[in-house]
Amino acid sequence: MSTEQLDKPIIEQPAKPSKGSALRGILPSRQEIVLLVLLAGLLGLAYALSPNFLTPTAQIGLSTHVWELALIALPMTLIILTAGIDLSVGSTMALSAVTFGLSYQAHLPIGVCALLTLAVGGLAGALNGFFVAYVRVHPLIATLATLAAYRGIAEGLSLGRPVSGFPDSFTQLGQGTLLGFPIPGLIFLVFLVAIGLCVTRLPLGLWLSAIGYNETAARYSGIAVSKIKFWLYTSSGLMAALAALLFVARRNTAKADVGAGMELGVITAVVLGGTSIFGGRGRLFGTVLGVLLIHETREFVSWQWNRDELNLIVIGMLLILSVLADSLLSPKAR
Amino acid sequence: MLCVSVLTAGCGTKTTSTSGATAGKPVNVYLLPKQKGIAYFTSCDQGAEQAAKELSDVNLVYDGPTDGAPEEAASLIESWTLKGANVICVSPDDPNVLSPAMIKARQQGVHVLTWDADAPPASREFFVDQATSEQIGDALVDTMAKDIAGTAAPTDATGKVAIVTATLTASNQNEWIKYIEDRLKKYPKLQLVAIKPSNDNQNVAFQVTQDLMKTYPDLKGVFGISSVAFPGAAEAIKQAGKSGQVLVTGLSTPNDMKPYVMGGTVKSVILWNTQDLGYLTVYAAEAVATGKLKPGATTFHAGRLGDLKVDGDKILLGNILVFNKDNINHYNF
Repeated sequence: MSTEQLDKPIIEQPAKPSKGSALRGILPSRQEIVLLVLLAGLLGLAYALSPNFLTPTAQIGLSTHVWELALIALPMTLIILTAGIDLSVGSTMALSAVTFGLSYQAHLPIGVCALLTLAVGGLAGALNGFFVAYVRVHPLIATLATLAAYRGIAEGLSLGRPVSGFPDSFTQLGQGTLLGFPIPGLIFLVFLVAIGLCVTRLPLGLWLSAIGYNETAARYSGIAVSKIKFWLYTSSGLMAALAALLFVARRNTAKADVGAGMELGVITAVVLGGTSIFGGRGRLFGTVLGVLLIHETREFVSWQWNRDELNLIVIGMLLILSVLADSLLSPKAR
Repeated sequence: MLCVSVLTAGCGTKTTSTSGATAGKPVNVYLLPKQKGIAYFTSCDQGAEQAAKELSDVNLVYDGPTDGAPEEAASLIESWTLKGANVICVSPDDPNVLSPAMIKARQQGVHVLTWDADAPPASREFFVDQATSEQIGDALVDTMAKDIAGTAAPTDATGKVAIVTATLTASNQNEWIKYIEDRLKKYPKLQLVAIKPSNDNQNVAFQVTQDLMKTYPDLKGVFGISSVAFPGAAEAIKQAGKSGQVLVTGLSTPNDMKPYVMGGTVKSVILWNTQDLGYLTVYAAEAVATGKLKPGATTFHAGRLGDLKVDGDKILLGNILVFNKDNINHYNF
């Protein structure tokens, strides 16, 4: 497997975007077709066993559980595309949530609290970016370290105490709807379109793939690898902070265990969506499918069987499935 | 144009309303513990299952977060509401997190009860209260008097007693202390000499109890009235070699105190009957859904538990259980 990266032709990739950089393709890739089939199968099963699950009211209501994960999956896709990873997203959420709670307790205006929260999340991401891009620590190690550290800081600052009682004007951000659709979902759509346009209409998408395929070659061909990586991790931290704000607004509580295990769900969704864990190949459409499959599976299992303990088992099985699909379906891996 | 779409969206969100079950229709009852998979709540579930079997019209589902996260519990309440629950019974770990979901469920026509722990009244119709502060205070004092008196009449129990509490501001504990002091008047020869905080720390409870035994060498009894104060006090007495001379009692689950009870340091452990709590909760849920239990009721008949008192919006179980050497091994939670 590890030799895979070396074999890959680098120069041709940008020349044949439809094959090489799946970011640009219009037709679904093989893995995406598999995901669509799985999703159709799941929804078919749901329709047979419990038709109520598929009503628009139920689906819109249940969708409120997934938007934070979906948002964080967007920058995560780009990071994994560069053969990186950010394990610290859940802990960054916790640190951001605690920042918000403490600044609210200090009677700062709610807007200032939110800005501070985003700043702390961005800084946490920037620190990851600094270590990965400039100190050249392996991202798995750098973000594993901050996964522990950020959670620890969050626990230390809050002393484990939750802060609640935020004003309705703020909780509406997480609980409210606009034209019948949850506000966090609309925020996700805006980011999906914006980031999607950035990677398909600008050279950024090709650069990210190039970094993932062969970083050294990308550097020699003039791509500002370090700068791109630094900003990728920073944006991942910012997105985690935004997700933390939405979560705090939705659940009316800010505390140090927010986002526990979030990295597991996010990375599973991205890899399930066909983004190669070795970098170079993947696209946002696949990630959206991955998020959708995880969300619908989780919700349906809970809906049908009422066993909370099945939740982690389902995620674990999907993660294994996604890695298997990655190695079986990827033409390069043969 | 915008107005029209806002209006239609408004209509769209109002379509689901699951009203109380009518005759013949099963009642879907969801029982939510603070944490699934721990012995205390599993034993509550056993009682709940028994009640569901007796009441033929109840479909009981018991589920909750295995990690005890209240956010996860709130998600479950939201899913159950969408799924058409008739009654959701919640033991709220963090009322701030859970009450928005509970209020939303009520707006959709779901009956919501709390059990084991309460949430703000707006978020539920009734609270199934396992034991009032008065019952707990009385049981603590009566048990202590009986243990000190031994074979003599409990009213002849003589000696100095002290309380090791959680913190001096803990509201539950302060309520209990009030009723302990009231009840002690029944036992004129028992003298309450000190109330010490343990700051929710078992080591502090241990030290405080050691200090109490030094200050009052003739101390006869200690009430350890928090989950850490009780074992902390028991450990101090055991290490001082005063097991049996200084008696200690308090509220705890049987498994936590088994070693002290079997070792002779603790004669009695007080708790409510957890199976009865689950049993009563399901009976109350069915009665609320079928209209048998309405606001303003003063009594409520719950199967084998008979007629129970309803105090305002609280259904009182009041079934205090005393664990001792003879029965503690029958309980596993």
